[in-house]
Amino acid sequence: MTIERDELGFDAPAPLGHPGRAGLPEGHATGPEVGERLPDFTLPDATGKPVTLHEARAGRPAVVVFYRSAVW
Amino acid sequence: MALFAISYDDQDVLREFTEKQSIPYPLLSDVDSAVIRAYGILNDQVKPGDLILYGIPYPGTFVTDADGVVTSKSFHGSYKIRDSPEALLDAALGRAQLEGARVAEAQGDAEVRVKVALRGGKGTIRQGIVRHAIARFELADGFHLYGEPVPEGMIPTQVQVSGPPGLVVHDPVLPPTAPLRLASMGVELQVWSGSFDIEIPFHAVGELVSECRPLDRDAVPIEVHVRYQACNDETCLLPKTETFRFDVPLDVVDIPKLGMHRGHGQREGNFDATPHLKRLLKRKFKESPLGFLRHAVLAARLNVAAKLRSRRDRASS
Repeated sequence: MTIERDELGFDAPAPLGHPGRAGLPEGHATGPEVGERLPDFTLPDATGKPVTLHEARAGRPAVVVFYRSAVW
Repeated sequence: MALFAISYDDQDVLREFTEKQSIPYPLLSDVDSAVIRAYGILNDQVKPGDLILYGIPYPGTFVTDADGVVTSKSFHGSYKIRDSPEALLDAALGRAQLEGARVAEAQGDAEVRVKVALRGGKGTIRQGIVRHAIARFELADGFHLYGEPVPEGMIPTQVQVSGPPGLVVHDPVLPPTAPLRLASMGVELQVWSGSFDIEIPFHAVGELVSECRPLDRDAVPIEVHVRYQACNDETCLLPKTETFRFDVPLDVVDIPKLGMHRGHGQREGNFDATPHLKRLLKRKFKESPLGFLRHAVLAARLNVAAKLRSRRDRASS
């Protein structure tokens, strides 16, 4: 398979047009805006322990990262 | 500061990833993408029942204050453009931390001191990860530098980054200016004073660093050009132009240890991701047998391509 370069200049093993290579469409909403409080949630961590965002912050500022996958 | 990272991965891979890659913060498991959906950032270009990818987010980052209110957020047009941990820390703290960064300092004078730091990745460049050239100005009391626009004949402060082809330089990030009214000229100018930073983000694309090709050089030169004129209420100093040069090492891309990625000369993860991929495939097969088959065809092609690369590498070595 030949390596196909996208319009931003990046290479990837999958061909162009593969949904895995699709970027964020221009004008697409990106969740809570600056000035809004992050909606609370509870999710299990790697050991299965439930973590609730605002409780686990314990009054500290937070960085919340959404990423694609640790598998592939 | 508290850091949380969320993906649609199951707990098993998160546990192994945390241990083997020494991740010091919690990785949270959102297997049915409920939180990703609730936040409105589900990747909706991957259709339900399509491939194994359905459920991934548009990747991005939120930084909050101590009340949990968003103070900054970062979503890029390409999933390959990512922020460095250093940039997230700086966003949370409100100012770039230069300790540990590569710093070049100009001779300077008593009125204006300028240094330039390359922040992120211990001074290396990798594909897509955004680094910051940070010009830090420290002005003596009473002096200021001008932001744009300025009247004819005056020098606005400029910071520019130049580098090899494949280095993509973003717009500068400027701190807020203060208005300065010059009654004699009848104009209001925008100025900076005290200690402030002008940041130029940049990242590398395939022409310079590619995840599908080994590095073809160890390092590249990057120059940061700074131009300014400092004035106080009575006088202006001569305009100054300084160039800060860095020899910046290139770094390969980290990839998961999976057959389909092999042969591109990249750095594999510390654990075998194959069993985790198999489990993910099983999960997705249950959701959509037809979508799974579509994925399987592409995966087979990528695996064949990887085998051919490996064979070619063996033959040439």
